[in-house]
Amino acid sequence: MAVIRDVIPQLELFQPSTADDALSLLEEHGSDAWVYAGGLDTLDWFKDRVKRPRVVVDLAAIDSMKQIQATSDGIEIGAMARLIDVVNNAEIRTQFPALAFAAKSAASPQIRNQGTIGGNVSQDTRCWYYRDGWTCYRAGGNICYASPPTAMNREHCILGASRCVAVNPSDTAPVLVALDAEMVVQRGRAERVIPASEFFVGPELDIERMTMLEPGDLLMSIRVPSTWAGARVYFEKVRDRDTWDFPLVNVATAIRESGGTIQDARVVVNGVAPTPVRLTAVENAIRGQARNEDTAMRAGDVSIQGVAPLTHNGFKVNLMRNLVKRSIRDEPMLDV
Amino acid sequence: MSQEIIEVTEETAQQGVSRRNFIKGAIAASAAVSSTNYLFRSNGGTVLAQTPAAGAVERLITVNVNGRSRRIEVPPMETVATTLRYKLGLTGTKIGCDRAECGACTVLVDGVPHYGCSLLTHSVRGREVTTIEGLEAEDGTLHPMQQAVLEEQGFQCAFCMSGFIMNSVALLNDNQSPTRKQAAEWLSGNLCRCADYDKILTSVMRAAEITRGA
Amino acid sequence: MADYKLLGKNYRTPDLYAKVTGRSKYAEDHRAEGMVFAKLLVSPMPHARVRSADTSAAEALPGVLGVLTPDDLPDEVEAPNEAALTWEPKYEGEPIIAVAAVNEQIASDAIELINLDLEPLPFVLDPLESLRPDSPNARTDGNTTVGREIATIKWSASDLAGLASGEIPMEAEAAAEWSYGDLEAGFAEADVIVEEHSYNQSTSHQPLESRTTMAYWEGGKLYVYPSVQSTARSVGPMARWAGIEPSNVVLINEFTGGGFGGKISGYVHAQIPILLSKKISRPVMMRISRREENAIGRARPGVQARIRLGMRSDGRITALDVHGVGEQGPYGRSGDNMNVAGIGSLCYQPLACRMRGTNVYTNTPPKGPQRAPGGVQSNTMLEPIIQKAAKQLGLDQVEVHKINAPEGQAKFGAPGRDGEQGNVSSAFAREAIDKGAELFNWTERKARSGQRNGSKVTGIGMSLAAYSAGASGVDGLFVLRPDGRLYIQSGVGNLGTGSTFDTMRTAAEGLDMPWDKCEVAWGDSSKHLPWSCSQGGSSTTHAHTRANWAAVEDAVQKIKEIAAGDLGGEADDYEIGGERVYRSGNRSQGLSFARVAQRAIDLGGKFDGHELPEDINGMTTASATALAGQGLMGVAKDNYAEGGRRMSFVAGYAEVEVDIETGNIRLVDYAAGSDAGTILHPKTYGAQIFGGAIQGFSVALSSKWVYDRRWGLAVAKRFYSNRPPGILDVPHEQPMKWANADLPDPFNPLGAKGIGEAAQGAGSASVASAIADALESLGEGNGDFHRTPVTRDMILTKLEQAPIGHDRLTAHV
Repeated sequence: MAVIRDVIPQLELFQPSTADDALSLLEEHGSDAWVYAGGLDTLDWFKDRVKRPRVVVDLAAIDSMKQIQATSDGIEIGAMARLIDVVNNAEIRTQFPALAFAAKSAASPQIRNQGTIGGNVSQDTRCWYYRDGWTCYRAGGNICYASPPTAMNREHCILGASRCVAVNPSDTAPVLVALDAEMVVQRGRAERVIPASEFFVGPELDIERMTMLEPGDLLMSIRVPSTWAGARVYFEKVRDRDTWDFPLVNVATAIRESGGTIQDARVVVNGVAPTPVRLTAVENAIRGQARNEDTAMRAGDVSIQGVAPLTHNGFKVNLMRNLVKRSIRDEPMLDV
Repeated sequence: MSQEIIEVTEETAQQGVSRRNFIKGAIAASAAVSSTNYLFRSNGGTVLAQTPAAGAVERLITVNVNGRSRRIEVPPMETVATTLRYKLGLTGTKIGCDRAECGACTVLVDGVPHYGCSLLTHSVRGREVTTIEGLEAEDGTLHPMQQAVLEEQGFQCAFCMSGFIMNSVALLNDNQSPTRKQAAEWLSGNLCRCADYDKILTSVMRAAEITRGA
Repeated sequence: MADYKLLGKNYRTPDLYAKVTGRSKYAEDHRAEGMVFAKLLVSPMPHARVRSADTSAAEALPGVLGVLTPDDLPDEVEAPNEAALTWEPKYEGEPIIAVAAVNEQIASDAIELINLDLEPLPFVLDPLESLRPDSPNARTDGNTTVGREIATIKWSASDLAGLASGEIPMEAEAAAEWSYGDLEAGFAEADVIVEEHSYNQSTSHQPLESRTTMAYWEGGKLYVYPSVQSTARSVGPMARWAGIEPSNVVLINEFTGGGFGGKISGYVHAQIPILLSKKISRPVMMRISRREENAIGRARPGVQARIRLGMRSDGRITALDVHGVGEQGPYGRSGDNMNVAGIGSLCYQPLACRMRGTNVYTNTPPKGPQRAPGGVQSNTMLEPIIQKAAKQLGLDQVEVHKINAPEGQAKFGAPGRDGEQGNVSSAFAREAIDKGAELFNWTERKARSGQRNGSKVTGIGMSLAAYSAGASGVDGLFVLRPDGRLYIQSGVGNLGTGSTFDTMRTAAEGLDMPWDKCEVAWGDSSKHLPWSCSQGGSSTTHAHTRANWAAVEDAVQKIKEIAAGDLGGEADDYEIGGERVYRSGNRSQGLSFARVAQRAIDLGGKFDGHELPEDINGMTTASATALAGQGLMGVAKDNYAEGGRRMSFVAGYAEVEVDIETGNIRLVDYAAGSDAGTILHPKTYGAQIFGGAIQGFSVALSSKWVYDRRWGLAVAKRFYSNRPPGILDVPHEQPMKWANADLPDPFNPLGAKGIGEAAQGAGSASVASAIADALESLGEGNGDFHRTPVTRDMILTKLEQAPIGHDRLTAHV
């Protein structure tokens, strides 16, 4: 079969109007089904004809999945809430401005008008080999094309590689991990709640998935507890173009201070590993310390312990160290 | 040979294209237009589309484009840009990258800018789609953004223009007094390869002036 | 500047209304009865031979109307040119077979059914690799051209001895060489010599409208709707690809979605819908995808160079020695690499100069002219070196440029066969530098160089760029009709740069006609268009002001003769104005232009186009003949003296802010001073200055291609990975500024030159210079990048003195 990377092939489209209908379709079609949210990551795959599910289940008509509401303990964001809804939501802007800012940092305005928070956290990696249909580990093959010395891997991982060296490209994911968010996942009638820090799956666990979601699963909503509401949360994304670009590295750092010392912290980076990485060693190193240049510097140095850069991405080590440092040293500049 | 938009009825398409039994003419509002030249079947060939399974979307759907209700036949995975260009004859919406990266296909859906190349037509059922062709008033009065582009000689090759204009229209609906920086951020999902960004922003600022004055 | 009524004034080009309302028809907006769609099977390998291709299953798929294979092409093309389809693809994405079907989806489905058996052949991506001993060639017949011949050049082990990997031996064999002056004496005279390697990566044209062509045949004629830059100049190639006479081609293309040199007079792949349409007797539309455009569309040749520059303590550049290796892709011939010293010798007028170079075939997408071919590479590579030499001598960068700037009919480039160098028609480079420095507040801003604001450091840079700015020898054609209106014919093409229409205003200006009584016919070869220049190389503004002025002189003489014949006296007793011809000193004795037009028809002969000048092009003759008898015809070939090569100059000034913790580069501001003679239309002029500059910014900051070296395949296939600049990547909070020297080119009656080319090198080189300035302030050598674009990884790696993972000249990383 010759290859053409163009024009979506014929697929069967379902547009259920309730979550129950969607769940039963997913149950019925199993691994033949594809969950379609904003459709941006999805249509890319379909147009390239690399992923060809038999059945597409579009969630756009399920209004119950689009709500963003305050709960007794924080905010619950429906998985089908668009990124722009996250950016504009008054509660989120007040309690978790870093989350709104991260959502605003993703892609472009049109994509934020269509792309969903559920899609943003569940999106597939942008490894250019894998995306282009190379039959790598992640695509069910038995090779990684991005890691040999002749490979181009400027955008790939410096941490957490396990055969695959792709990175998670999400901007909202590290913030959600930092905020101790939880992912509400349903499968048939069964609901389970997965901490954001465990939602993302590295290749050592399953090389063909980016998240815990398996065929039949539906990410229903994301709960952000009030734990870090109003706390100092820093988010910064470094990318090559100031628009429509994925992070080279991004960082989300939540800090609670009291009496001049850091009481507790969450430091999470993305774009450096197959999953967002919570840097507990950094958190431990800064807990109890004054938030100042020295602490920040030390945090940066601790952050890069154990990194293993590839041929072309050594700069990510410096970048991660600097971003972790800044996230502790500098005041958040959350331009939302 | 005619350069007009050619529409094909279901019947003629069934009969096969080799008979060239087309119905030409302007697109009539709410006419059932289906199987245009983009999607007709070959002469004597089998029906290519799969029979929809129970519960799957219907192919004959109604979309509302530029204030008119249109009944069209749309396969499940067809994008808005394709439908507009090849079913409805609205070629002002361009396909630049077909990958949600350049914005040439930007249209408004319920007033909100979307990449028409990466939005399924089945996703806009019952929603209001506005394209560059829908900006002019019935008496021919142009939208302030169109007027401003004329005044400022905005854009060069203008392949990106309708996308930029549609996105700017949404901006001006949201904010009649944007700064250049705000306008640039709003328009940052649109690419201009002639890189006429300076004059585009000047046009948007002029459009805001016209809007405020109106 | 002369006082013109129309030229130099802003106005609305006549194509704009259709554009803002969505009525403008680009290639893919055309429809024809029974139109079907073509898609391509392209090579998945960088170099291969097709052992077999079975299309039977594809052809049997319902909805498929036919296929076109290389066997269907009429003639073999002459090497090193490319064919529309090939059994030996030499780059990934090269078309092998085309399929026509009733829609794109079925055509794509059909392509998946083709059984293709490929034999991989050796490939090479990096030109320097192909020059090494025992290395592969991209073509089976050689790796370069020497003169017109395909040849193979391999450097020997001794050439490379002592050099670090990726360094270029200055004296090793080169395919071409030229020099002037005494190089050795030049270096001996220098107080500072800077020697460096530099690499300017290949960037693609990426017009927003990918190559699109719709074609059908009717009554033995080909009707073709391509996306091309030029109208008149594309008819011939289309006819050749169709195998018919140009007179049997109707080419319609009123609006084109960008080209930047990539669609100048068509592209061979237009042959696919042309021949498919003939084969299946149906109109065929072929819009190639963005992915295919990235491969099949052109790209600027990358250039790897070793450069040695000598400067005297007073700032004068005494010697420039360049060995430049160009990346050609597998087809054609380019001279970009040789232009490094070519344009360098114009901008900086070194006392002695030598250029050696080899243009190497590679299995990467075909390269071709892109906006200032070689000029952008030259300015971008040389500016940081000049800046460095100036710094070492404690000299101001602007002053150094002024000391070395060309003036008048300055000489430059390779000496001709007579040993003499060519010259420019005019150069007001110093004035351009001054205009820009004043706008930018150079002296004040320069003081901010190296200023720190937290982790951010400011850099200030500038550059002088130059490139071609006009053709000559084409024809002007218009008819003044009895309705009192002027009908001006343009065969140029319409990229939206404005020059198509701006130059037609020359006719109105010369006849003193109000612009609202003028109509321009363009973009449709059946509308009787004259032989025109190509819409490329910034040729139009100069060429068609001249050509239309020649036609104006022709028309004015005819008008006066008619007046003299009807009213008495000699032609010279009359003058024109206010849409009338009248006796000098007595405005009441005269004829209206409407009357003159009617009289021209009555008189016939030369007056209404029944007799034509002999020196006009055959296309103009045919068009004028078709228009004969409609009114008074102005028709003439531009025979004005040329005075030298028309070159424009742009001095670019940039301020950047580099964040040393993230590698982020923010372009704070940009301003430009220019010398392009008379400005016809300030708004479109500014658009060229900034549009060119921004394309230059991305050369310096973001755009590049990345290839996997093991497999020879492109990996950066998406805009988010090959990174053309977005609106936030350029100065946008305030409008950018430009100013022109406003000194007319003495060899154009209107004084106008083009501007689009030089604008780009000014943008790329000034930004590269500003980045180097910022980083150099942090420590000596920190500003040396030796390559563009300068990306975040390069800055962070440099400042940490960490290894970067590739040699300094390695291509496509």
